[in-house]
Amino acid sequence: MRAVLHAEWTKLRTVRGWVVALAVAAAAVVGLGLLTGGQGSCGRNGPRSECVLPVGPDGQEVTDHFTFVHRSLTGDGSITVRLNGLTGVLPRKPGLGGPPDSTGPQATEGGTGDGQPGLAPWAKGGLIIKDGTRPGSTYAAIMLTGAHGVRMQHDYVHDRAGPPAPATTPRWLRLTRAGQTITGEESPDGTAWTTVGTVRLPGLPATAQVGTFATSPQFTWILGGGRGVGGAMGGPSEVTATFDNLTGRDTGPDASWSRTEVGGDASPQPEQLGASWRVTGSGDIAPAVSGISGIGTTVSQTLAGTFAGLILVVVVATMTMTAEYRRGMIRTTVAAVPRRGRILLAKATIIGAVTFGLGVLAATVVVVVGGRVLRAHGVYLHPAAPGIEVRLVVGTGLLLAGAAVLALGLGALLRRGLTAVVAGIVVIVLPYLLAMTVLPPEPAKWLLRVTPAAAFAVQQSAVSYPQVDDFPIPVNGYFPLSPWAGLAVLAGWAALVLGLAGFSLRRRDV
Amino acid sequence: MRRALHAEWTKLRTTPGTVLLLLSVVVATVGISILAAAATDCPGGICAVDITKVSLTGVQLGQAVVAVLAVQLIGAEYGTGMIHVSLAAVPRRLTVLAAKALMLTAVVTAAATAGVAGSLVAGRSLLPLTVTDTTVLRAAFGSVLYLILVGLLALGVTTAVRTPATAAGLVLGLLYVFPIVGLAATDPDFRRHLDQIAPMTAGLAIQRTTGLDDLAISPWRGLAVLGAWAAAALLAGGLLIRLRDA
Amino acid sequence: MNQTSIVVNGLRKRFGPTLALDGMSFTVEPGQVTGFVGPNGAGKSTTMRVVLGLDAPDAGTALVGGRPYRSLPCPLRVVGSLLDAGALQPGRTARNHLLWLAHSQGLTAARVDEVLEQAGLTSVARRRAGGFSLGMRQRLGIAAAMLGDPAVLMLDEPFNGMDPEGIVWIRGFLRALAAEGRAVLLSTHLMSELQDTADHVVLVGRGRVLADRTMPELLARHGSLERAYLELTRDAVEFRAAGSPEASR
Repeated sequence: MRAVLHAEWTKLRTVRGWVVALAVAAAAVVGLGLLTGGQGSCGRNGPRSECVLPVGPDGQEVTDHFTFVHRSLTGDGSITVRLNGLTGVLPRKPGLGGPPDSTGPQATEGGTGDGQPGLAPWAKGGLIIKDGTRPGSTYAAIMLTGAHGVRMQHDYVHDRAGPPAPATTPRWLRLTRAGQTITGEESPDGTAWTTVGTVRLPGLPATAQVGTFATSPQFTWILGGGRGVGGAMGGPSEVTATFDNLTGRDTGPDASWSRTEVGGDASPQPEQLGASWRVTGSGDIAPAVSGISGIGTTVSQTLAGTFAGLILVVVVATMTMTAEYRRGMIRTTVAAVPRRGRILLAKATIIGAVTFGLGVLAATVVVVVGGRVLRAHGVYLHPAAPGIEVRLVVGTGLLLAGAAVLALGLGALLRRGLTAVVAGIVVIVLPYLLAMTVLPPEPAKWLLRVTPAAAFAVQQSAVSYPQVDDFPIPVNGYFPLSPWAGLAVLAGWAALVLGLAGFSLRRRDV
Repeated sequence: MRRALHAEWTKLRTTPGTVLLLLSVVVATVGISILAAAATDCPGGICAVDITKVSLTGVQLGQAVVAVLAVQLIGAEYGTGMIHVSLAAVPRRLTVLAAKALMLTAVVTAAATAGVAGSLVAGRSLLPLTVTDTTVLRAAFGSVLYLILVGLLALGVTTAVRTPATAAGLVLGLLYVFPIVGLAATDPDFRRHLDQIAPMTAGLAIQRTTGLDDLAISPWRGLAVLGAWAAAALLAGGLLIRLRDA
Repeated sequence: MNQTSIVVNGLRKRFGPTLALDGMSFTVEPGQVTGFVGPNGAGKSTTMRVVLGLDAPDAGTALVGGRPYRSLPCPLRVVGSLLDAGALQPGRTARNHLLWLAHSQGLTAARVDEVLEQAGLTSVARRRAGGFSLGMRQRLGIAAAMLGDPAVLMLDEPFNGMDPEGIVWIRGFLRALAAEGRAVLLSTHLMSELQDTADHVVLVGRGRVLADRTMPELLARHGSLERAYLELTRDAVEFRAAGSPEASR
């Protein structure tokens, strides 16, 4: 086998066109990755324009923007309130593309002033206990949501579901502190109570702020598929929560209430709490995300050049096989190595190893340099853990290698360079393109689950949280499969095609 | 020229696979269009998307088959060395290229018309699409022109690079990579410029019937951009076939 | 100048570092079979490609019937050629291969059937040319060369892969063509075949003509064509096996 590998390696490196094409493939991955850098506004408009997101207790970046009616609570204590339903305003749904001669969808940018009534699914109102009013500080909250019932959430990423409850009917909520332990309870009538969750907040100081809150995240209308057809349009939404029946035991000496827009500019305003009061808010208390519901981008963006590289790799990998058939060299090869399966295996090993190496090399450069270019151009880049960056780099190498082996198999199966190259590109690149541009989310997800294009999941670095409506659809940077599962789909296809090719190579005359 | 055309016609119709490829253009175009139309929901007859464009989604796969047809039209002759026989028979090389371009235009027009018409019929039965609307007719007629221009682009590129597999990679790369890089670009201006020069994105602007204000380039100018790419490719191919040893 | 002959004058052609043609000049007369011989790499095929307008020379001219090939309106009616018998698309049938060639010259299918008959291919005319043996492809190539009933024929190694019957057929066929007054340029390495077929020999080496004589002249001087070849090309051979008698000299 070593001799066969050596022979195939010599065949590959002695065709100047192939070597050049592979070098260009690596250069394309790097070059296009850096080219997409673009322009952002972070840091461009003076010292206060830097994009700095609050950092949560676990060190991750968070969104922390809500309206808080609060007072101090020192030591242990409990607060109970009745939430008399949520009402809200959504951005206006864009004009619908009905008859073809209409002007079509138009974005409704700006505030919610011209919006329509409605609740965002993750609009929130309820009770919260928080370390002061600084964005990013530790907290725990029991809340009613627009469409997800009662929830207990703490420290931005943790979310626990309570009973489902409509957002429009009254609900009783209670938050109790005992040392570092916070318990959230809810009740439909104020007598029969259910515990939704008990959480520990190790960083919560002796005196914390406690009270009622409301906030409602960015809302997006998804229109059909990606930006090619209808796209996504939206804006901020707003929620109003009405509270009454407040009972609080063991509150500290400072019993006066304040109203603060956490994460906003205004300073706390004194508040006279009547028998009933309203809290209106816009924003979110959640992990920060990229994509249409968040800001900035992820380092995955720098890997856009992979496609150009991929196409070149497909061409070269196919030709390493079909060139043998063009002038009958395959007969010489088979005469030299009569065990034909070995020829195929050796070719796959060599082209796979070479493209893996090139992919890793190019991806390393582009992830490291591309991230810097994006930041230098004022684009907010979500930090990726080192583990994720390693996965992106290794994954890109494996993606190219998998595509190369698949293309080689197609070449051996179809024997004609032209057909095999087009087949290779169509099965790997076209599903991705269709999913990203024209198809509605459901067929798009389906394509990215079953076709070799599923492997692009390995380049996803955006993290999806169930409690953030960031539209986990392909066009927004979320793949339906996990990174390694996606890569496994490609590997499966490559193995299948290579197996068929080996079978046909053994059976057919050369 | 008439004789060269006759010869090219005989070649084309006696190449095994031509009929199959032309049928594939139709099947690929109509098939993907049906799938896309079936996947699109129009609750209460109101669609959130440009249903004309959705009905013509199959053009995106059809163009790959058209590219194969165009590449093999001259690529197969380079692959086998038959190009020497062709050029010995018709020594005026630009005549050979022109004859091939005309033949290609003729057969692609036939296949593309069938594919686009089929897609619209499917779109009409699955979506509330009015096929007699002038903008829809513009999109349909433009899609046929689009496929023809993709074919000519592929013919020019193949004449220039001579290896069929490389040519196919180049053409599909040219078509598919631009929009993907555009998707990744954060800078809206950069994306807009990319959409204005990309052969596929600009060319397919002809399929849009709604939201024309959002387009980076107007439908007919977009198709003209693709036309410019095709003309440049044919020019390069023509120059090279004229100047180079066969 | 004779209107129906090949006139090659002072051709020079360089491929990178290799000088393929270095002042190649000769004339192919009508009514004769002219043998075109020389070692591998001597420039025979390049000369033929230049004559057919496939390669452009750096200097010099190649005229067919007094005109450059590329200016002929229906070139196959003037020159028929066989350069590479494999140069056809394997999926097309023999008849269809000839048919498109015929159409390119304004000829009809009837003429195709005539040349198929002449080349003895009628029984396999509707079989895929890709499945042909080398000898059958040579016959198909000769049929293609005859298609336009040309006054000049240029054949590169037509004996390759031919069975003995085929070789005898080509020999007689070429003699008959010359007798009809056509000019035939025949390139081959088979000296004994050529000795029986050709009237005239152009012997080339290193891109230029080494000898341009009639067959009787060569035979009178060297005894046999093979000996003439070996003696005349002694210093012009590019590739020679170690240990061969010529190499150890």
